[in-house]
Amino acid sequence: MDNETFITASRYLGAAFSVGFGAIGAALGEGYAAGIASESISYKPKASREVITTMLIGQAIAESAAIFALVVSMILLFGGPDFHSLNFGWACIGAGLCMGLAAIGSGLGAGIPAGQACLGTVIQPATSGKTNTTMLLGSAVTQTPAIFGLVLAFLLLFLDHSNMPVYPGWAALLGAGLSMGLGAIGSGLGNGFTAGEAVYGVARNPEQVGPTSMVMLVALGVAQSSAIYGFLIGLMLLFVTPKESILIADSARLLTAGICMGFGAIGPGIGSGIAGAYALKEVPRKPEERGTIFRVMLIGMAVAGSTAVYALVISMLLIHYFK
Amino acid sequence: MEELGKIKQIDFDILGYKLVFNIETIIMTCIVIFVLILFSVLARSRMGLIPNPFQVIAETLAKIFYNLCEDALGQELAPKYFKLIFSLFLFIWLSNIIGIVPIFSEPTKDLNTTLSLGVLGFIIAHYSGIRAKGIKQYLKEYCEPIFFMAPLNVIGELAKVVSISFRLYGNIMGGGIIIIVVSHLLWQILLPPALLFFFGIFVGTVQAFVFTMLTLVYISLQVR
Repeated sequence: MDNETFITASRYLGAAFSVGFGAIGAALGEGYAAGIASESISYKPKASREVITTMLIGQAIAESAAIFALVVSMILLFGGPDFHSLNFGWACIGAGLCMGLAAIGSGLGAGIPAGQACLGTVIQPATSGKTNTTMLLGSAVTQTPAIFGLVLAFLLLFLDHSNMPVYPGWAALLGAGLSMGLGAIGSGLGNGFTAGEAVYGVARNPEQVGPTSMVMLVALGVAQSSAIYGFLIGLMLLFVTPKESILIADSARLLTAGICMGFGAIGPGIGSGIAGAYALKEVPRKPEERGTIFRVMLIGMAVAGSTAVYALVISMLLIHYFK
Repeated sequence: MEELGKIKQIDFDILGYKLVFNIETIIMTCIVIFVLILFSVLARSRMGLIPNPFQVIAETLAKIFYNLCEDALGQELAPKYFKLIFSLFLFIWLSNIIGIVPIFSEPTKDLNTTLSLGVLGFIIAHYSGIRAKGIKQYLKEYCEPIFFMAPLNVIGELAKVVSISFRLYGNIMGGGIIIIVVSHLLWQILLPPALLFFFGIFVGTVQAFVFTMLTLVYISLQVR
Protein backbone atom coordinates (compact mmCIF):
# COMPACT_ATOMS: atom_id res chain seq x y z
CA MET A 1 0.00 0.00 0.00
CA ASP A 2 1.54 3.33 -0.99
CA ASN A 3 1.30 6.58 0.96
CA GLU A 4 -1.50 8.14 -1.08
CA THR A 5 -3.81 5.15 -0.69
CA PHE A 6 -3.17 5.05 3.04
CA ILE A 7 -3.83 8.81 3.41
CA THR A 8 -7.08 8.59 1.45
CA ALA A 9 -8.24 5.62 3.53
CA SER A 10 -7.33 7.43 6.76
CA ARG A 11 -9.24 10.53 5.67
CA TYR A 12 -12.37 8.40 5.22
CA LEU A 13 -11.79 6.63 8.52
CA GLY A 14 -11.20 9.89 10.39
CA ALA A 15 -14.29 11.51 8.88
CA ALA A 16 -16.42 8.53 9.88
CA PHE A 17 -15.07 8.47 13.44
CA SER A 18 -15.52 12.19 13.86
CA VAL A 19 -19.14 12.55 12.93
CA GLY A 20 -20.08 9.06 14.07
CA PHE A 21 -18.96 9.56 17.67
CA GLY A 22 -19.78 13.26 17.59
CA ALA A 23 -23.44 12.65 16.84
CA ILE A 24 -23.97 10.58 20.01
CA GLY A 25 -23.80 13.28 22.64
CA ALA A 26 -25.65 16.13 20.98
CA ALA A 27 -28.57 13.90 20.01
CA LEU A 28 -28.92 12.55 23.56
CA GLY A 29 -28.69 16.04 25.05
CA GLU A 30 -31.26 17.47 22.67
CA GLY A 31 -33.60 14.59 23.35
CA TYR A 32 -33.32 15.27 27.08
CA ALA A 33 -34.09 18.96 26.51
CA ALA A 34 -37.12 18.10 24.38
CA GLY A 35 -38.37 15.62 26.97
CA ILE A 36 -38.18 18.13 29.82
CA ALA A 37 -39.83 20.72 27.57
CA SER A 38 -42.81 18.42 26.97
CA GLU A 39 -43.08 17.81 30.72
CA SER A 40 -42.96 21.56 31.41
CA ILE A 41 -45.68 22.30 28.88
CA SER A 42 -47.95 19.78 30.57
CA TYR A 43 -47.58 21.76 33.85
CA LYS A 44 -48.58 25.04 32.23
CA PRO A 45 -49.89 24.68 28.67
CA LYS A 46 -50.33 28.46 28.31
CA ALA A 47 -46.57 28.98 28.40
CA SER A 48 -45.95 26.59 25.52
CA ARG A 49 -44.60 29.28 23.17
CA GLU A 50 -41.96 30.51 25.62
CA VAL A 51 -40.97 26.94 26.45
CA ILE A 52 -40.56 26.01 22.80
CA THR A 53 -38.41 29.10 22.16
CA THR A 54 -36.20 28.28 25.15
CA MET A 55 -35.94 24.65 24.07
CA LEU A 56 -34.89 25.58 20.54
CA ILE A 57 -32.23 28.04 21.74
CA GLY A 58 -30.83 25.45 24.14
CA GLN A 59 -30.83 22.71 21.53
CA ALA A 60 -29.07 25.00 19.05
CA ILE A 61 -26.20 25.42 21.50
CA ALA A 62 -26.10 21.69 22.32
CA GLU A 63 -25.91 21.04 18.59
CA SER A 64 -22.72 23.06 18.20
CA ALA A 65 -20.53 20.19 19.47
CA ALA A 66 -21.90 17.95 16.72
CA ILE A 67 -21.36 20.78 14.23
CA PHE A 68 -17.68 20.96 15.21
CA ALA A 69 -17.47 17.22 14.45
CA LEU A 70 -19.18 17.79 11.11
CA VAL A 71 -16.70 20.57 10.26
CA VAL A 72 -13.74 18.25 10.95
CA SER A 73 -15.37 15.53 8.83
CA MET A 74 -15.90 17.95 5.96
CA ILE A 75 -12.30 19.15 6.14
CA LEU A 76 -11.10 15.54 6.12
CA LEU A 77 -13.26 14.62 3.14
CA PHE A 78 -13.07 17.69 0.91
CA GLY A 79 -10.27 20.01 1.91
CA GLY A 80 -7.57 20.68 4.36
CA PRO A 81 -3.85 20.58 3.83
CA ASP A 82 -2.12 18.50 1.21
CA PHE A 83 0.70 16.62 2.96
CA HIS A 84 2.05 13.37 1.57
CA SER A 85 3.86 11.74 4.49
CA LEU A 86 2.62 8.56 6.12
CA ASN A 87 2.27 10.49 9.38
CA PHE A 88 -0.45 12.66 7.87
CA GLY A 89 -2.60 9.56 7.50
CA TRP A 90 -2.25 8.72 11.19
CA ALA A 91 -2.89 12.38 12.05
CA CYS A 92 -6.20 12.21 10.10
CA ILE A 93 -7.36 9.20 12.13
CA GLY A 94 -6.21 10.89 15.34
CA ALA A 95 -8.03 14.12 14.50
CA GLY A 96 -11.25 12.25 13.74
CA LEU A 97 -11.12 10.30 17.01
CA CYS A 98 -10.19 13.42 18.96
CA MET A 99 -13.05 15.58 17.70
CA GLY A 100 -15.63 12.79 17.69
CA LEU A 101 -15.00 11.64 21.26
CA ALA A 102 -14.62 15.21 22.57
CA ALA A 103 -18.05 16.13 21.21
CA ILE A 104 -19.83 13.39 23.20
CA GLY A 105 -19.53 14.99 26.64
CA SER A 106 -20.21 18.58 25.64
CA GLY A 107 -23.20 17.71 23.48
CA LEU A 108 -24.80 15.63 26.21
CA GLY A 109 -23.86 18.17 28.87
CA ALA A 110 -25.23 21.22 27.06
CA GLY A 111 -28.63 19.54 26.77
CA ILE A 112 -29.09 19.48 30.55
CA PRO A 113 -29.15 23.29 31.11
CA ALA A 114 -31.46 23.58 28.11
CA GLY A 115 -33.94 21.20 29.73
CA GLN A 116 -33.70 22.89 33.13
CA ALA A 117 -34.26 26.27 31.47
CA CYS A 118 -37.56 24.97 30.03
CA LEU A 119 -38.62 23.93 33.51
CA GLY A 120 -37.48 27.30 34.87
CA THR A 121 -39.50 29.18 32.26
CA VAL A 122 -42.64 27.44 33.52
CA ILE A 123 -41.85 28.05 37.21
CA GLN A 124 -41.12 31.78 36.81
CA PRO A 125 -42.38 33.03 33.43
CA ALA A 126 -41.79 36.67 34.46
CA THR A 127 -38.02 36.26 34.79
CA SER A 128 -37.44 33.85 31.94
CA GLY A 129 -34.92 36.35 30.52
CA LYS A 130 -32.57 35.79 33.47
CA THR A 131 -33.01 32.03 33.23
CA ASN A 132 -32.22 32.08 29.53
CA THR A 133 -29.14 34.26 30.01
CA THR A 134 -27.78 31.88 32.64
CA MET A 135 -28.55 28.95 30.34
CA LEU A 136 -26.71 30.59 27.42
CA LEU A 137 -23.69 31.35 29.61
CA GLY A 138 -23.61 27.85 31.12
CA SER A 139 -24.09 26.02 27.81
CA ALA A 140 -21.47 28.16 26.06
CA VAL A 141 -18.88 27.42 28.75
CA THR A 142 -19.89 23.73 28.66
CA GLN A 143 -18.72 23.68 25.03
CA THR A 144 -15.13 24.45 26.12
CA PRO A 145 -13.98 20.76 26.23
CA ALA A 146 -15.34 20.28 22.69
CA ILE A 147 -13.50 23.45 21.62
CA PHE A 148 -10.28 22.01 23.06
CA GLY A 149 -10.95 18.89 20.99
CA LEU A 150 -11.46 21.04 17.89
CA VAL A 151 -8.18 22.88 18.53
CA LEU A 152 -6.20 19.66 18.88
CA ALA A 153 -7.87 18.19 15.79
CA PHE A 154 -6.85 21.32 13.84
CA LEU A 155 -3.30 21.06 15.17
CA LEU A 156 -3.17 17.40 14.09
CA LEU A 157 -4.48 18.24 10.64
CA PHE A 158 -2.81 21.52 9.75
CA LEU A 159 0.69 21.08 11.18
CA ASP A 160 3.26 19.27 9.08
CA HIS A 161 4.34 16.15 10.98
CA SER A 162 6.67 14.85 8.29
CA ASN A 163 9.81 15.43 10.41
CA MET A 164 8.51 12.94 12.99
CA PRO A 165 9.70 9.35 12.44
CA VAL A 166 6.78 7.12 11.44
CA TYR A 167 7.72 4.59 14.12
CA PRO A 168 6.80 5.49 16.90
CA GLY A 169 5.28 8.73 15.52
CA TRP A 170 2.04 7.00 14.56
CA ALA A 171 1.46 6.11 18.22
CA ALA A 172 2.11 9.71 19.34
CA LEU A 173 -0.40 11.11 16.83
CA LEU A 174 -3.06 8.54 17.67
CA GLY A 175 -2.37 8.88 21.40
CA ALA A 176 -2.73 12.67 21.23
CA GLY A 177 -6.17 12.30 19.67
CA LEU A 178 -7.30 9.68 22.19
CA SER A 179 -5.99 11.65 25.17
CA MET A 180 -7.89 14.81 24.25
CA GLY A 181 -10.99 13.04 22.93
CA LEU A 182 -11.57 10.70 25.87
CA GLY A 183 -10.42 13.36 28.33
CA ALA A 184 -13.10 15.81 27.22
CA ILE A 185 -16.02 13.42 27.80
CA GLY A 186 -16.09 13.66 31.59
CA SER A 187 -15.66 17.41 31.80
CA GLY A 188 -18.34 18.12 29.24
CA LEU A 189 -20.87 15.91 31.00
CA GLY A 190 -19.94 17.20 34.46
CA ASN A 191 -20.20 20.80 33.31
CA GLY A 192 -23.68 20.04 32.04
CA PHE A 193 -24.84 18.82 35.48
CA THR A 194 -23.43 21.94 37.14
CA ALA A 195 -24.88 24.39 34.63
CA GLY A 196 -28.27 22.65 34.76
CA GLU A 197 -28.62 23.04 38.52
CA ALA A 198 -27.46 26.66 38.28
CA VAL A 199 -30.14 27.44 35.70
CA TYR A 200 -32.86 25.81 37.80
CA GLY A 201 -31.62 27.64 40.89
CA VAL A 202 -31.77 31.01 39.12
CA ALA A 203 -35.32 30.21 38.02
CA ARG A 204 -36.34 29.59 41.62
CA ASN A 205 -34.59 32.65 43.04
CA PRO A 206 -34.05 35.16 40.22
CA GLU A 207 -32.64 37.81 42.59
CA GLN A 208 -29.52 35.69 43.08
CA VAL A 209 -28.62 35.61 39.37
CA GLY A 210 -25.32 37.49 39.78
CA PRO A 211 -23.75 35.47 42.62
CA THR A 212 -25.07 32.19 41.18
CA SER A 213 -23.54 32.89 37.77
CA MET A 214 -20.23 33.71 39.46
CA VAL A 215 -20.15 30.46 41.44
CA MET A 216 -21.26 28.57 38.33
CA LEU A 217 -18.44 29.98 36.18
CA VAL A 218 -15.80 29.08 38.74
CA ALA A 219 -17.30 25.59 39.19
CA LEU A 220 -17.32 25.02 35.43
CA GLY A 221 -13.74 26.26 35.19
CA VAL A 222 -12.48 23.91 37.88
CA ALA A 223 -14.40 20.92 36.52
CA GLN A 224 -12.64 21.48 33.18
CA SER A 225 -9.22 20.78 34.73
CA SER A 226 -9.29 17.13 33.66
CA ALA A 227 -10.02 18.07 30.03
CA ILE A 228 -7.11 20.51 30.25
CA TYR A 229 -4.80 17.70 31.42
CA GLY A 230 -5.94 15.70 28.38
CA PHE A 231 -5.16 18.70 26.16
CA LEU A 232 -1.75 19.07 27.82
CA ILE A 233 -0.80 15.42 27.22
CA GLY A 234 -2.07 15.76 23.64
CA LEU A 235 0.18 18.79 23.07
CA MET A 236 3.16 16.97 24.62
CA LEU A 237 2.66 13.97 22.35
CA LEU A 238 2.46 16.29 19.34
CA PHE A 239 5.50 18.40 20.08
CA VAL A 240 7.89 15.96 21.80
CA THR A 241 9.42 14.47 18.65
CA PRO A 242 10.33 10.89 19.60
CA LYS A 243 13.52 9.10 18.52
CA GLU A 244 13.11 6.65 15.67
CA SER A 245 12.63 3.10 16.94
CA ILE A 246 10.91 0.07 15.51
CA LEU A 247 10.50 -1.51 18.96
CA ILE A 248 6.86 -2.14 19.70
CA ALA A 249 7.49 -1.05 23.31
CA ASP A 250 8.22 2.52 22.22
CA SER A 251 5.03 2.77 20.20
CA ALA A 252 3.01 1.22 23.02
CA ARG A 253 4.50 3.69 25.50
CA LEU A 254 3.25 6.74 23.58
CA LEU A 255 -0.13 5.24 22.69
CA THR A 256 -0.83 4.15 26.25
CA ALA A 257 0.20 7.56 27.60
CA GLY A 258 -2.69 9.01 25.63
CA ILE A 259 -5.12 6.26 26.62
CA CYS A 260 -4.11 6.53 30.30
CA MET A 261 -4.77 10.27 30.43
CA GLY A 262 -7.95 9.98 28.40
CA PHE A 263 -9.64 7.36 30.56
CA GLY A 264 -8.19 8.85 33.73
CA ALA A 265 -9.92 12.15 33.03
CA ILE A 266 -13.44 10.80 32.52
CA GLY A 267 -14.29 10.10 36.17
CA PRO A 268 -12.83 13.27 37.74
CA GLY A 269 -14.66 15.45 35.22
CA ILE A 270 -18.04 13.89 36.01
CA GLY A 271 -17.29 13.80 39.75
CA SER A 272 -16.31 17.46 39.94
CA GLY A 273 -19.40 18.30 37.94
CA ILE A 274 -21.62 16.46 40.44
CA ALA A 275 -19.94 18.32 43.33
CA GLY A 276 -20.65 21.59 41.53
CA ALA A 277 -24.25 20.57 40.80
CA TYR A 278 -25.11 19.97 44.47
CA ALA A 279 -23.38 23.18 45.54
CA LEU A 280 -25.26 25.21 42.94
CA LYS A 281 -28.54 23.70 44.02
CA GLU A 282 -28.04 25.28 47.45
CA VAL A 283 -26.34 28.59 46.54
CA PRO A 284 -29.52 30.35 45.30
CA ARG A 285 -31.56 28.79 48.07
CA LYS A 286 -29.31 29.98 50.90
CA PRO A 287 -27.51 33.11 49.70
CA GLU A 288 -26.14 33.91 53.19
CA GLU A 289 -24.19 30.62 53.27
CA ARG A 290 -22.73 31.16 49.81
CA GLY A 291 -19.12 31.64 50.93
CA THR A 292 -19.05 28.42 52.95
CA ILE A 293 -20.75 26.33 50.26
CA PHE A 294 -18.37 27.75 47.68
CA ARG A 295 -15.27 26.84 49.67
CA VAL A 296 -16.48 23.33 50.49
CA MET A 297 -17.34 22.81 46.81
CA LEU A 298 -13.85 23.86 45.71
CA ILE A 299 -12.12 21.59 48.23
CA GLY A 300 -14.35 18.68 47.20
CA MET A 301 -13.63 19.32 43.53
CA ALA A 302 -9.90 19.43 44.19
CA VAL A 303 -10.06 16.04 45.94
CA ALA A 304 -12.28 14.53 43.23
CA GLY A 305 -9.92 15.90 40.60
CA SER A 306 -6.82 14.39 42.19
CA THR A 307 -7.27 11.07 40.39
CA ALA A 308 -6.87 12.95 37.10
CA VAL A 309 -3.57 14.23 38.49
CA TYR A 310 -2.42 10.63 39.08
CA ALA A 311 -3.23 9.82 35.44
CA LEU A 312 -1.34 12.97 34.40
CA VAL A 313 1.72 11.92 36.39
CA ILE A 314 1.73 8.41 34.91
CA SER A 315 1.26 9.73 31.37
CA MET A 316 4.11 12.21 31.78
CA LEU A 317 6.33 9.43 33.14
CA LEU A 318 5.44 7.27 30.15
CA ILE A 319 6.28 10.05 27.71
CA HIS A 320 9.43 11.48 29.27
CA TYR A 321 10.94 9.02 31.70
CA PHE A 322 10.88 5.58 30.06
CA LYS A 323 12.74 6.60 26.93
CA MET B 1 -0.57 27.99 8.24
CA GLU B 2 2.96 27.77 9.60
CA GLU B 3 2.19 30.39 12.25
CA LEU B 4 -0.15 27.93 14.05
CA GLY B 5 0.67 28.03 17.75
CA LYS B 6 3.98 29.83 17.20
CA ILE B 7 5.20 33.08 18.73
CA LYS B 8 7.75 35.42 17.16
CA GLN B 9 11.15 35.07 18.84
CA ILE B 10 14.55 36.67 18.60
CA ASP B 11 17.78 35.03 19.72
CA PHE B 12 20.78 36.65 21.44
CA ASP B 13 24.21 35.15 21.87
CA ILE B 14 25.74 36.35 25.11
CA LEU B 15 29.02 34.77 26.30
CA GLY B 16 28.20 31.55 24.48
CA TYR B 17 24.74 31.26 25.99
CA LYS B 18 21.74 31.42 23.67
CA LEU B 19 19.01 33.64 25.06
CA VAL B 20 15.58 33.46 23.44
CA PHE B 21 13.19 36.38 23.80
CA ASN B 22 9.52 36.05 22.89
CA ILE B 23 9.59 39.57 21.52
CA GLU B 24 5.89 39.63 20.58
CA THR B 25 4.84 38.75 24.13
CA ILE B 26 7.20 41.29 25.67
CA ILE B 27 5.98 44.18 23.49
CA MET B 28 2.32 43.28 23.99
CA THR B 29 2.75 42.97 27.77
CA CYS B 30 4.35 46.43 27.80
CA ILE B 31 1.42 47.83 25.81
CA VAL B 32 -1.07 46.27 28.24
CA ILE B 33 0.80 47.70 31.23
CA PHE B 34 0.99 51.12 29.57
CA VAL B 35 -2.76 51.15 28.83
CA LEU B 36 -3.57 50.15 32.41
CA ILE B 37 -1.33 52.89 33.84
CA LEU B 38 -2.90 55.43 31.49
CA PHE B 39 -6.37 54.29 32.57
CA SER B 40 -5.58 54.60 36.26
CA VAL B 41 -3.99 58.04 35.80
CA LEU B 42 -7.09 59.20 33.92
CA ALA B 43 -9.35 57.72 36.60
CA ARG B 44 -7.37 59.37 39.41
CA SER B 45 -7.09 62.80 37.82
CA ARG B 46 -9.81 65.28 38.83
CA MET B 47 -11.38 62.77 41.20
CA GLY B 48 -14.48 64.20 42.73
CA LEU B 49 -18.01 63.74 43.91
CA ILE B 50 -19.15 64.26 40.34
CA PRO B 51 -16.98 61.58 38.75
CA ASN B 52 -15.37 61.66 35.34
CA PRO B 53 -16.16 58.73 32.99
CA PHE B 54 -12.97 56.80 33.81
CA GLN B 55 -13.62 57.16 37.52
CA VAL B 56 -17.11 55.68 37.07
CA ILE B 57 -15.72 52.62 35.27
CA ALA B 58 -12.93 52.15 37.80
CA GLU B 59 -15.20 52.55 40.82
CA THR B 60 -17.85 50.18 39.46
CA LEU B 61 -15.33 47.45 38.73
CA ALA B 62 -13.48 48.00 42.00
CA LYS B 63 -16.71 47.73 44.00
CA ILE B 64 -17.60 44.37 42.39
CA PHE B 65 -14.17 42.94 43.17
CA TYR B 66 -14.04 44.42 46.66
CA ASN B 67 -17.31 42.64 47.48
CA LEU B 68 -15.94 39.37 46.11
CA CYS B 69 -12.77 39.74 48.21
CA GLU B 70 -14.85 40.49 51.29
CA ASP B 71 -16.94 37.36 50.67
CA ALA B 72 -13.87 35.17 50.41
CA LEU B 73 -11.45 36.69 52.92
CA GLY B 74 -13.52 38.52 55.51
CA GLN B 75 -13.51 42.20 56.44
CA GLU B 76 -10.03 42.50 57.95
CA LEU B 77 -8.04 40.79 55.19
CA ALA B 78 -10.02 42.07 52.20
CA PRO B 79 -8.23 45.48 51.83
CA LYS B 80 -4.84 43.75 51.92
CA TYR B 81 -5.44 41.36 49.02
CA PHE B 82 -7.98 43.42 47.06
CA LYS B 83 -5.29 45.42 45.24
CA LEU B 84 -3.55 42.28 44.03
CA ILE B 85 -6.76 40.58 42.92
CA PHE B 86 -8.10 43.64 41.13
CA SER B 87 -4.84 44.36 39.27
CA LEU B 88 -4.54 40.69 38.34
CA PHE B 89 -8.03 40.75 36.83
CA LEU B 90 -7.46 43.99 34.89
CA PHE B 91 -4.14 42.75 33.53
CA ILE B 92 -5.43 39.34 32.41
CA TRP B 93 -8.66 40.77 31.06
CA LEU B 94 -6.94 43.41 28.94
CA SER B 95 -4.36 40.83 27.81
CA ASN B 96 -7.14 38.50 26.68
CA ILE B 97 -9.20 41.04 24.75
CA ILE B 98 -6.32 43.00 23.18
CA GLY B 99 -6.29 40.43 20.35
CA ILE B 100 -9.45 41.90 18.83
CA VAL B 101 -7.40 44.93 17.72
CA PRO B 102 -5.77 44.15 14.35
CA ILE B 103 -2.04 43.24 14.39
CA PHE B 104 -2.06 43.05 18.21
CA SER B 105 -1.80 39.62 19.83
CA GLU B 106 -2.63 38.36 23.29
CA PRO B 107 0.27 38.04 25.75
CA THR B 108 -1.72 35.26 27.45
CA LYS B 109 -1.34 33.21 24.26
CA ASP B 110 2.19 32.52 25.52
CA LEU B 111 2.56 29.83 28.18
CA ASN B 112 5.36 31.84 29.82
CA THR B 113 2.91 34.60 30.78
CA THR B 114 0.20 32.35 32.20
CA LEU B 115 2.61 30.04 33.99
CA SER B 116 4.37 32.96 35.66
CA LEU B 117 1.00 34.38 36.75
CA GLY B 118 0.08 30.97 38.14
CA VAL B 119 3.40 30.66 40.00
CA LEU B 120 2.92 34.21 41.31
CA GLY B 121 -0.46 33.28 42.78
CA PHE B 122 0.96 30.04 44.21
CA ILE B 123 3.86 31.80 45.96
CA ILE B 124 1.65 34.56 47.36
CA ALA B 125 -0.94 32.05 48.62
CA HIS B 126 1.62 29.85 50.34
CA TYR B 127 3.62 32.77 51.75
CA SER B 128 0.42 34.22 53.23
CA GLY B 129 -0.46 30.79 54.56
CA ILE B 130 2.88 30.44 56.37
CA ARG B 131 2.58 34.00 57.71
CA ALA B 132 -0.99 33.44 58.93
CA LYS B 133 -0.71 29.94 60.40
CA GLY B 134 2.94 29.53 61.24
CA ILE B 135 5.27 27.04 59.60
CA LYS B 136 4.33 24.16 61.93
CA GLN B 137 0.62 24.26 61.28
CA TYR B 138 1.30 24.85 57.57
CA LEU B 139 3.42 21.71 57.28
CA LYS B 140 1.01 19.74 59.43
CA GLU B 141 -1.79 20.31 56.91
CA TYR B 142 0.15 18.40 54.28
CA CYS B 143 0.04 15.29 56.46
CA GLU B 144 -3.73 15.12 56.51
CA PRO B 145 -5.59 12.79 56.72
CA ILE B 146 -2.57 10.49 57.32
CA PHE B 147 1.14 11.26 57.09
CA PHE B 148 1.85 9.12 54.04
CA MET B 149 -0.62 11.17 52.01
CA ALA B 150 1.95 14.01 52.05
CA PRO B 151 3.49 13.35 48.59
CA LEU B 152 0.03 13.23 47.03
CA ASN B 153 -0.91 16.50 48.74
CA VAL B 154 2.24 18.14 47.38
CA ILE B 155 1.44 16.87 43.86
CA GLY B 156 -2.11 18.14 44.28
CA GLU B 157 -0.82 21.62 45.17
CA LEU B 158 1.50 21.66 42.16
CA ALA B 159 -1.32 20.43 39.91
CA LYS B 160 -3.30 23.53 40.91
CA VAL B 161 -0.60 25.71 39.31
CA VAL B 162 -0.58 23.54 36.18
CA SER B 163 -4.36 23.52 35.78
CA ILE B 164 -4.85 27.24 36.48
CA SER B 165 -2.21 28.35 33.96
CA PHE B 166 -3.02 25.80 31.26
CA ARG B 167 -6.71 26.68 31.44
CA LEU B 168 -5.99 30.30 30.54
CA TYR B 169 -3.32 29.41 27.98
CA GLY B 170 -5.41 26.68 26.32
CA ASN B 171 -8.51 28.83 25.99
CA ILE B 172 -6.77 31.89 24.57
CA MET B 173 -4.36 29.98 22.30
CA GLY B 174 -7.17 27.65 21.19
CA GLY B 175 -9.36 30.61 20.24
CA GLY B 176 -6.47 32.05 18.22
CA ILE B 177 -5.90 28.74 16.38
CA ILE B 178 -9.59 28.34 15.54
CA ILE B 179 -9.71 31.89 14.12
CA ILE B 180 -6.57 31.31 12.00
CA VAL B 181 -7.86 27.98 10.61
CA VAL B 182 -11.37 29.26 9.90
CA SER B 183 -10.01 32.39 8.19
CA HIS B 184 -7.77 30.16 6.09
CA LEU B 185 -10.69 27.98 5.04
CA LEU B 186 -13.14 30.81 4.40
CA TRP B 187 -10.89 33.53 2.95
CA GLN B 188 -11.87 35.85 5.80
CA ILE B 189 -15.39 36.83 4.76
CA LEU B 190 -18.02 36.59 7.44
CA LEU B 191 -17.37 34.14 10.25
CA PRO B 192 -13.99 35.31 11.64
CA PRO B 193 -15.33 38.60 13.11
CA ALA B 194 -18.11 36.71 14.92
CA LEU B 195 -15.60 34.15 16.21
CA LEU B 196 -13.33 37.00 17.26
CA PHE B 197 -16.19 38.40 19.31
CA PHE B 198 -16.91 35.04 20.98
CA PHE B 199 -13.32 33.99 21.68
CA GLY B 200 -11.90 37.47 22.18
CA ILE B 201 -14.45 39.16 24.38
CA PHE B 202 -16.67 36.45 25.88
CA VAL B 203 -14.13 33.68 26.52
CA GLY B 204 -11.46 36.24 27.41
CA THR B 205 -13.63 37.85 30.09
CA VAL B 206 -14.85 34.53 31.52
CA GLN B 207 -11.32 33.09 31.70
CA ALA B 208 -9.87 36.26 33.27
CA PHE B 209 -12.59 36.07 35.89
CA VAL B 210 -12.06 32.35 36.54
CA PHE B 211 -8.30 32.81 36.90
CA THR B 212 -8.72 35.71 39.34
CA MET B 213 -11.38 33.92 41.38
CA LEU B 214 -9.30 30.77 41.68
CA THR B 215 -6.26 32.76 42.83
CA LEU B 216 -8.47 34.48 45.40
CA VAL B 217 -9.89 31.18 46.60
CA TYR B 218 -6.44 29.56 46.86
CA ILE B 219 -5.28 32.52 49.00
CA SER B 220 -8.39 32.32 51.16
CA LEU B 221 -7.93 28.56 51.67
CA GLN B 222 -4.43 29.24 52.99
CA VAL B 223 -5.11 32.23 55.25
CA ARG B 224 -8.36 31.11 56.85
